[in-house]
Amino acid sequence: MSSLAMRPCGDFRTSYKADNTIFETKTIRLVTCLVIALACAAPLVLDGYFLTLFIQISYLGIAALGLNILVGFTGQISLGHGAFFGFGAFASAWLNTSFNIPVVFCIPLAGFLTMGVGMMFGMPAARIKGLYLAIATLAAQFIIQDFFGRAEWFTGGASGAMAAPVSLFGFDFDTDMSFYFIALFALVFMYIWGCNLMRSRDGRAFVAVRDHYLSAEIMGVKLNKYRLLSFGISSFYAGIGGALYGHYLGYVSSEGFTILMSIQFLAMVIIGGLGSIKGTLMGVVFMVLLPEVLEGMVGLMKYTDYGNLPMVTDGLAYIKEMAIGLVIILFLIFEPEGLAHRWGQIKNYWKCYPFAY
Amino acid sequence: MTKKILLSTTLACLTFTAGAAQAEDTVFVGHLADMSGPTAFVGKPYADGVRDALAYINAHGGIDGTKLEYETIDYAYKVPQAIASYKKWLSRKNMVAMQGWGTADTEALISFAAKDKTPIFSASYSGHLTDPKGKNPKTTKPAPYNFFYGASYSDACRGLVQWAADDWKAKGGKGKPKFTHIGANHPFPNAPKEACAEYATELGFDVQPSVVISMKPGDFKAQCLSLKSSGTNYGYIGNLGGSVQSLIKSCDTVGTDIQFMSNIWGGDKLVFKAAGEGVRNYIFPTMTPFWTDDVPGMKLVREISKMSDSTGTEERLHHYIRGVCSTYFMKESMEWAKANGGITGENVKKGMYAHKNWVPKGLEGVCLAATWTPEDHRGINQVNIYKGNFNHGDIKVEKVNQVTLERRTDWLGY
Repeated sequence: MSSLAMRPCGDFRTSYKADNTIFETKTIRLVTCLVIALACAAPLVLDGYFLTLFIQISYLGIAALGLNILVGFTGQISLGHGAFFGFGAFASAWLNTSFNIPVVFCIPLAGFLTMGVGMMFGMPAARIKGLYLAIATLAAQFIIQDFFGRAEWFTGGASGAMAAPVSLFGFDFDTDMSFYFIALFALVFMYIWGCNLMRSRDGRAFVAVRDHYLSAEIMGVKLNKYRLLSFGISSFYAGIGGALYGHYLGYVSSEGFTILMSIQFLAMVIIGGLGSIKGTLMGVVFMVLLPEVLEGMVGLMKYTDYGNLPMVTDGLAYIKEMAIGLVIILFLIFEPEGLAHRWGQIKNYWKCYPFAY
Repeated sequence: MTKKILLSTTLACLTFTAGAAQAEDTVFVGHLADMSGPTAFVGKPYADGVRDALAYINAHGGIDGTKLEYETIDYAYKVPQAIASYKKWLSRKNMVAMQGWGTADTEALISFAAKDKTPIFSASYSGHLTDPKGKNPKTTKPAPYNFFYGASYSDACRGLVQWAADDWKAKGGKGKPKFTHIGANHPFPNAPKEACAEYATELGFDVQPSVVISMKPGDFKAQCLSLKSSGTNYGYIGNLGGSVQSLIKSCDTVGTDIQFMSNIWGGDKLVFKAAGEGVRNYIFPTMTPFWTDDVPGMKLVREISKMSDSTGTEERLHHYIRGVCSTYFMKESMEWAKANGGITGENVKKGMYAHKNWVPKGLEGVCLAATWTPEDHRGINQVNIYKGNFNHGDIKVEKVNQVTLERRTDWLGY
């Protein structure tokens, strides 16, 4: 099956191996490898602005994938993802400055620390669901945020925490171009890990819990275990994303990790497609580029005679804010399954072109 | 249909993100503003001040003939957006200096600014931005390329505490006056908390545990009751905007007898108008005179204001005037830079150190005299203390005092 270049019409998978493959066809695998190779060469042609956007896409993308595993694959909900993201950032900075652990090890360690915290706050998840769970995770958001403000030993309080750049064999990854490779590696690594997780026994258990928890329990899936594990994995991803963010900026301040960030993560996942790994990335790309594209429009407007008025430019700034809200509503109405689903439809259209059935 | 949409959006993305500009004898100044986010209440007037000042400079010859190219981006207090804008300006436009805004963006950009040698003039007055070389052991992160016009939050609070100590004596108060910090548990209200409490203790205050109120407007009667029961005499307000209004209203209802002293963003005529009768002898610091004050430099400020308000009727807040000062200090350091090797980020920084007790030309009496040195970025060590009264709708703001603070080395960067 995996040796096919094109996807056949119909589902002819006859073995578990074929059912489990990451890349459905040879072409997809080839394209993926090609894209990664191209991405490696990208800093040669792209300027700092695009590199920053890519780095943003990767740390947000990693965290968003965590949320998608929780929300999209396990059917739980979390409104505290922004706080976990922040916890990862602080944890990594703290491990590095307090114990002199090299940053490359701090990042995964911060992931595990965040995982612990996430599982602690996920404990109610084993018992409650739906709206009640949403409120419980909302509490996590506020508790952790308050903790950032108070725990001076951990976060530096009002003055924030310093995060050293990633350093390997004496080389500091402190420029956009060098950090780009760290971000790219982390993104690819974490996404492959996510794909593999979903092919595993645990991944299937998550999906079973989501689709029908009663049936899952009858089949022998331990609900408590998998709900909690899902929270742990989700926070692990958030922690890794946060740690990358911290070491990229070189400085972590608790200012940004608010409920708004948590909601933005949810928006990325919903726009991208719940329960889709590639959809997560699409959602993140969309959410990162949307304000930039709108900003670009304002910039272009400024070059015209009519556009360079404070009224127009300020007005567009408001529209930019509203556009994000509008996009979420439009997606919920017209494309509830997200960009991933839309992508699938586009592919289907071309696959049978011009003989769509 | 779908592919058409997809194609056109992709094309649109490419064209819009790739917009570039050519420059002939211009330098680029980035301007980050919050006009639609959580701090828009004061962010808008401050941004207007910066923008009008930049436009005015351009309309009157620029920096000795070099035009300023500038772009205002409303980043709505979102850090990722601020970083992206900064990087875009740096890599596309060759930015030489930036006018920034709040705690969130300023702190996120400290390391980048130092690495890229781009001075950032912020409206975040955190004390820890004042230690460019990390001399104070308490400084976590030296901020060599950060400047701001005004006394730091800590210094302003110290000035208020100094005033409060005199006030207590003048009123013939007996025993130790009680001092409480009131504010949200966020970096901005927390910035002066420790430093100010330390100085208050030094001056003989009895410092109470701080009272937390949310950054968002709400009902703060419970907090006001605890202020009342603790018998607080002097309360420092660390928040801004709607939250301050709610606090004043709630405490007025509860009937507390506290002398409120706010941070620089927490007191202006808009707040007083909205907060109503509760505003009685409300003490707040400023770094500039008020719109209606009659000082020589206000003539220029009124001209600058006409850039966006041609009728000249709009009464600007003191935040606006501070934005003008911040821009004019940058302008004069750029002029120095142009005369001494060209306008680059590094030279603009050096230009900031070129003068002592320095007031931008034309703004005499408006901007306080400032001195920046390579070791000490506490430009201003003076605090104007003003008193606001609601006065049944006829709002009165009067100057009470001007406090000058020592530049103590143990206060550097904190």
